Amino acid sequence: MEAEVVGSEMVLPAALPFKRVQMSDKYPKGQSRGRHWKHLKQILQAENYASLPAHEPNYLNIESPPSLYPSKKYCDMTGFEAPYTDPRTKLRYANPDVFKRVRSLPNEYVQRYLALRNAAIILR
Amino acid sequence: MPSYSITRPSRQEDYARFSPNTPIVIDNGGSSFRIGWAGESDPRVTFRNVVQRPRHKATGETVTIVGDHDPSLMKYFDCTRTSFRSPFDNNVVYQFEIMEYVLDYGFERLGANLQVDHPILMTECICNPLSSRSKMAELLFETYGVPSIAFGVDAVFSYKLNQQFGRCNEDGLAICSGFSASHVIPIVKGEPVTEACCRTNIGGYHVTNYLKQLLSLKYPYHMSSITWEKAEELKMEHCYVAMDFASELQLFQKGNEETKEKTRCWQLPWVPPTQGDVPSEEELARRAALKEKQGQRLRDMAAARKSIRITELENELNGLEDLLQQLDEVEEPEVSSILSGTKFFSRQEIESAILRVTQSLRKAKGEPSEPEEKNDSSLSEKYPLVSVPDELLSPEQLKEKKRQIFLKTTSEGRLLAKRKRFEEESLREKQNQLDEEKRLENPELYLEQLHDRYRELSEKVELRKRVKTNGNQNLSGGVGRGERLSAAQKERMRLLTSAAFDRGKVLMERIDKSADIKLQVDIDPNFVPKSDLVPPQATPEFSKFRPQSLEDFKIVLGVERFRCPEVLFQPNMIGIDQAGLDEMAGISLRRLDRVDDPIKDDITKSILVTGGSALLPGLLPRLEAGIRQIRPYLSPLTVVRACDPILDAWRGASIYANSPQFSLQTLSMQDYYEKGESLLWQYQIKYTI
Repeated sequence: MEAEVVGSEMVLPAALPFKRVQMSDKYPKGQSRGRHWKHLKQILQAENYASLPAHEPNYLNIESPPSLYPSKKYCDMTGFEAPYTDPRTKLRYANPDVFKRVRSLPNEYVQRYLALRNAAIILR
Repeated sequence: MPSYSITRPSRQEDYARFSPNTPIVIDNGGSSFRIGWAGESDPRVTFRNVVQRPRHKATGETVTIVGDHDPSLMKYFDCTRTSFRSPFDNNVVYQFEIMEYVLDYGFERLGANLQVDHPILMTECICNPLSSRSKMAELLFETYGVPSIAFGVDAVFSYKLNQQFGRCNEDGLAICSGFSASHVIPIVKGEPVTEACCRTNIGGYHVTNYLKQLLSLKYPYHMSSITWEKAEELKMEHCYVAMDFASELQLFQKGNEETKEKTRCWQLPWVPPTQGDVPSEEELARRAALKEKQGQRLRDMAAARKSIRITELENELNGLEDLLQQLDEVEEPEVSSILSGTKFFSRQEIESAILRVTQSLRKAKGEPSEPEEKNDSSLSEKYPLVSVPDELLSPEQLKEKKRQIFLKTTSEGRLLAKRKRFEEESLREKQNQLDEEKRLENPELYLEQLHDRYRELSEKVELRKRVKTNGNQNLSGGVGRGERLSAAQKERMRLLTSAAFDRGKVLMERIDKSADIKLQVDIDPNFVPKSDLVPPQATPEFSKFRPQSLEDFKIVLGVERFRCPEVLFQPNMIGIDQAGLDEMAGISLRRLDRVDDPIKDDITKSILVTGGSALLPGLLPRLEAGIRQIRPYLSPLTVVRACDPILDAWRGASIYANSPQFSLQTLSMQDYYEKGESLLWQYQIKYTI
């Protein structure tokens, strides 16, 4: 290792004296580990909250419900309030100038704008 | 919110000084990890809660780097397939391998030597799923051998600390907007009411990400400059929460002096393009000399190659001539013995080889090759068998004759083609001369004729294209058969096909009608195809080349300054269908169904805002206004910000762990081994001790 790297102490030592089980013993090298960490969704599914009494607080039921206020529509490009929607790209826009820009946008950018508000078409 | 200074925490030296009863306090936050000793006022070590596992270039081994680091040192590592990884999914720890690296680093920096023999107080999110909590306990007990652990909620620790400072009361509301989620936790009699709290999955991460995405979409050329770290920095420096989002937007839409003042610019480094500065005389001379030198070198090389080739060919020719001479001198039977030493089989072959070599020699020397016309006279001599009738020849001679006939016809054909080419050339030359004369005579007329001819030709081309595309003048230049039909044509096709199935009268009438309409369109004299009106060109501003200027490297933050933090109040803006911060307070109060209204008033009298996003300017007044809308008329309301929204959680936890009763709230390793997971199931610490 280069002196600079060693000097900065940025690299975590492979074995640490205070640990009972070292990292290399726990996760042996070369053994394909795959993806064995459950994601949050799977964790929550495994918790099986449905079987518990409903009044008991848990990770899922403390989540806030949808807003009661009517959702406002904002222009995807400028952020101003958007009275219009482009039927072709489904982007919202505030005025004709923005509309021109919307129409000249390449599809990739349209999808990225839509993805920002979770409205993009995802092909699987 | 982390601060992005790249100074790495240094290893603490005084680990041994602390007695085994002193708890270690860990604030395991979504963005940063803080670790320190109970009773101290500040965490000893703070770093970003991320892990990167690049490959060391020199040794090829995979190393682990926790937290932020100096980017200049990354040149020693290969980071192509590794990015920053966080142990968190939302606000729940799920990747315990990464968590272990983070803990390793935390304990190592804290100075742990032989064992971690201190009780541990760690923060977690409220209502942490059991499996996440038990995995964390397993990790701490089994890997580090910690004697006892306790879990608490960061927002409540922060609230308790501020309660000690007198900023809030025993009953109150903790609004904590963290990195990946925001919580509202009502606190009654000093204890959090878990069943009444509420969470929206929106936090500082979403604000920064929104800002980053918006800027990189607005300035696609500078996408590489707009990094996550930079966006975070911009957010902390420039973003604010608008008191009234709609009116602020209108203000910006109108665009007056005030908005200009509110607009911030971020100037990217920009180097003006070198103006075509005229090189000096000597520079020019130097360049010319250099060019000349290079040219001379190339010429020398070519000459050398040529002379080598010539000598080679001459040698070969000499050799062949010697061989021929030898053959002349010796008797017939010995010829074969001489020839067997060479690659030739007969005298003729040698002769033809000599001919070939002399020709290529001539070519190499640059002399004109002997004119082929000379061969003309010798045609009959070259092919003597052609004119002899078949009957007089032996089978071998017949074969030879066939070959000669073939050779003769091809050579004749070649000659003919040559003659023809020559004629054509002369004709063209004559035409050119005539044209030139015409041009000199009357240039305008000549030009007009040229134009006419051009138009004629382009019309022809157009016609051919139209035939190909079914008469559709489409700009995209689609081809005939794959061409999509227009809506009217499609409708017509549909009608025709359906009519083919059931020959209803009505349908036929409709077809007729539509055909009539079509006919009218066809003969309409005013009908102009659309493509004639709109020239098929891009708008000039795009096609025109403009040198890049200082302005192009300016990143303007106008609406974005308050548009991005607005997602905390309107999660709908980024497609999360949940209530915003102000509404969450209302929801939480509504969920407190067992609490009377007077106590609710008490609660709203002490609302504490904590968490990194609480640092956004304007958040408090906006929150106050939002909550006031929800509460009954003239009900009391006080919203305060925590002393230090970022560090208060750790400090609160530190004070909590330092109290003598802390050991009663912990779970010991012995308990863990006896009861296992079920111990953690109903586990909840008492915050008031």
